[in-house]
Amino acid sequence: MAGDRRSFLEPAVLARLMALPLHARHAMLGSVSGKHRSPVRGSSLEFAQYRKYVPGDDTRRLDWRTWGRSDRFYIKEFEADTNLRICLLIDTSGSMGYGPAGATRLDYARRLAGTLAYLAAQQGDAVGLWSLAEKPLEIQARRGATHLGLVLDQMAGIEPVGGTTLLTALHDAAEKIRQRALVVVLSDLFVPPAELKSAVQHLRFRKHDIAMFHLLDQKEIDFDFDRPARFIDMEGGEAVMADPSLIARNYRIAVKQYMEEMNELVRTTGIDYHLVKLHERYEDVLVRFLLGRIPNRKGR
Amino acid sequence: MTFLQPALLAALPLAALPVVIHLIHLYRRRQVKWAAMMFLRMAQRMNKGLSRLRQILILALRVLAVAAIIFVVTRPLAGGWLGLTGGAPDTVLVLLDRSASMEQKNTATGVSKRAAGLSNLAKAIKDAVGTRSRLVLIDSALGKPVDLGKADDLTSLPQTEATDTEADMPGLMQAALDYITTNKSGRTDVWVLSDLQQSDWEPSDGRWGTLRSAFLTMQGVRFHLLCYPQPAQDDLGVTIDHVTRHETSDKAELQLDLRITRHVDKPQPLEVPLRFVINGVATTMKVTIKENDLVMQALSIPISKTVKRGWGRVELPDDAWAGNNVFYFVFDEPPAMHSAIVSDDEAESGPLNAALSAAADPSRKYVTTLLSARRAAEIPWEDTALIVWQAPLPKPGDAIARQLSDHVAAGRTILFLPPESPDNTRIFGLGWASWKDESHDKPRNVEWWRNDSDLLANTRDGSALQVGSLEISRFCGIEGDGVPLARVAGGLGPLLMRSLDRGGNVYFLGTLPGPGSSSLARDGVVMFALLHRALNEGATSLGKAQQRFASANALGADPSKWKPVEQKASLPLRAGVVASGDNLIALNRPPGEDQPQVLSMPALDELFAGLDFHVLTNTLEDGHTLTNEVWRTFLLAMAVALLGEALLCMPGKREVPVVKSSMGAAAEK
Repeated sequence: MAGDRRSFLEPAVLARLMALPLHARHAMLGSVSGKHRSPVRGSSLEFAQYRKYVPGDDTRRLDWRTWGRSDRFYIKEFEADTNLRICLLIDTSGSMGYGPAGATRLDYARRLAGTLAYLAAQQGDAVGLWSLAEKPLEIQARRGATHLGLVLDQMAGIEPVGGTTLLTALHDAAEKIRQRALVVVLSDLFVPPAELKSAVQHLRFRKHDIAMFHLLDQKEIDFDFDRPARFIDMEGGEAVMADPSLIARNYRIAVKQYMEEMNELVRTTGIDYHLVKLHERYEDVLVRFLLGRIPNRKGR
Repeated sequence: MTFLQPALLAALPLAALPVVIHLIHLYRRRQVKWAAMMFLRMAQRMNKGLSRLRQILILALRVLAVAAIIFVVTRPLAGGWLGLTGGAPDTVLVLLDRSASMEQKNTATGVSKRAAGLSNLAKAIKDAVGTRSRLVLIDSALGKPVDLGKADDLTSLPQTEATDTEADMPGLMQAALDYITTNKSGRTDVWVLSDLQQSDWEPSDGRWGTLRSAFLTMQGVRFHLLCYPQPAQDDLGVTIDHVTRHETSDKAELQLDLRITRHVDKPQPLEVPLRFVINGVATTMKVTIKENDLVMQALSIPISKTVKRGWGRVELPDDAWAGNNVFYFVFDEPPAMHSAIVSDDEAESGPLNAALSAAADPSRKYVTTLLSARRAAEIPWEDTALIVWQAPLPKPGDAIARQLSDHVAAGRTILFLPPESPDNTRIFGLGWASWKDESHDKPRNVEWWRNDSDLLANTRDGSALQVGSLEISRFCGIEGDGVPLARVAGGLGPLLMRSLDRGGNVYFLGTLPGPGSSSLARDGVVMFALLHRALNEGATSLGKAQQRFASANALGADPSKWKPVEQKASLPLRAGVVASGDNLIALNRPPGEDQPQVLSMPALDELFAGLDFHVLTNTLEDGHTLTNEVWRTFLLAMAVALLGEALLCMPGKREVPVVKSSMGAAAEK
């Protein structure tokens, strides 16, 4: 039963992606030791810096060799490795139901989020789940296989309904996620970029590392229809009758403007943004995502 | 704008079909569940004004295209600038009715139907075809095709001037058919300009059927009938039936049978001055016309006893139709009233001889020649006004048949009586059936006779002839097409019939005057009146002073020997008096021209049934130009509308999606 519900997890894909670690791009404040940088100095093998001794410092951390060479007391600091708290924010508004049955935008988001959750859990990170919908689901990040099971089960049960509450949900999440975390947003982002920017900045203000998977179908970009049609809003709005031959050009201009504003948002907020087209293999998207997050040693 | 197929205009609501289809399409278009409504709404906001305008334009062009198709099939006709856009035929054939009645004028402008029609026609032809088509005129008076250099010639040629003739419209159509056949005129537009007077069109004429059949076999011949059927307002006309000179011991006078007519719905008494000009001397009298007809029998106009012969005219004041305000006449000492009776039956010829020899007019001499059938060739053809033929009908082609035909053609009269043994021979379109012997039964009476004109008309004082009291014991049926003048009771058929042969005074009487057949001889009066009226009809063409109707052939083969007594041009087509030596001829409009009856539109439709024709009914007040078929214009409009619609529907240039680069840029960050 559990296996059916978690069918969005593909063992083969998981096996391949296990080789790629999930890194946070910013220092994390984990509860336990882990693979990720912490803003506090710790006792890992990774040298961080020297600093002058001040009274009260633990004398065990004095670098005696430096004292021997320079007759001055220096404290040798090492990076503190901690675990990652990954919060998966999945948009569950009606528009996430776009696409054929079994291959909707939400299904795609579920695959991405589920796989990431699994990968994170496997490397000892805490996983939380937030659904961005009228009936919010909030599962704080925790570690452990049991918790992962809970997250995956909840993830399997979400349905795309109602209007979008993405912006309020992001603000809400920014307030409620207690510690620094990797916030992964999976949404179609059909909101004004200027308003989205505000929500993102709120998250950034809370020191969260933000990754954003912008899920769009190619048809939503190209508006490639040949006949007039009645377009019914999947989020319960009114129907719009449109003749693509008359409107397609302006539609594409609107998309272009939107994407330019998104670029600006990405540029100014520094989020890890990924435009994902639903026809892409999610495994490739995740590979791109994971590889993009591997820290550059030189730059560290 | 008028239409050749106006019924198809009922399909015009179909022009709204694109709108209906659009609305149906709007409500039945497929539904797409769509998530990116944000972009769609933005696009709609951007597109709103132009898009709606474009959509409205597309719909309007589609409606225009369908309407144009409908207009094309209804075959519109238009004048003016729109008419210029029509195509030009190879030949434009103008058939002009130059009959006297075409001179009826609009009293406000003084323009006649003929002049107005010609002017309109010239302008229309100039506008519509210019000099692209060959232009040919055939007029009713001369019947000869005339090539016209330009449309304006229609208003200036002598062949289009006024006449006092009648128009033989079937003959005119035949001339058009001959022209088209002989000259292979290609696509031909035949314009007929006429007032639709029934006497000119003769819808019962057998030639119409033949003409229609012939035109039906032709491709590309279209008829445009420009009609002026409206009668002249408050028009008075005058005619003179008989003019005789009477002389007594103390005075001489002319006796005229004069008729003044008008055609108004509610006639009011009207006093009109009547001016007589006799040998250049004018006298005027006033008469009051109370009804639509004023008949003045034997109106006496005193003349000098020394005036034995001469000419004159009677005139009414000018009105809407000047042509029927004048009637010319000539007079002379009356010739002897010669008649001939051809009969082998003395019992029958006796009463006839007695009646014809008796003088109806004491001032004239009556001579009757009695001949047997074998001696019929001895008839004094030159002097005889009436032949009473009671013998077997001559076979067609016989010399005597030709002589009889010439006799009738010269304006003389023949009265045929049934022979004892009738056969199936026909002459002048009529023949004898068999005798119906009613002697054992009660004799039949005459149940109906025509008392307004012809041989059995009422007398001058208006009292009827006692035709109804005639008793018919033996009756011989009359076969063929003719005008019945009297009918025997009991459905036995016509007793007296006039042949329809044009211009001839040929009568068939279905009984004999003898006591074994009828009471004609016994009562005498009816027979006397009948015979002397027939004699008088024939006598009008006797003598040196004759009344004739204006026509191209009115003065015979050599009209140049005739000179007008007044300075009037265009004789013999115009009314007037001409002289040649001692002979005088008064030319007048034919009586049919005074008839107000016009061809009804259904009758006209029947005459042109199956042909490509349309009728333009103008009034004299119309200043409109005439029309040309302009379906090509609508076809062009349709093509332009469809082209415009296609251009508006053409999808814009497909832009290379910019999303990829944006996305890439975003992703790189």
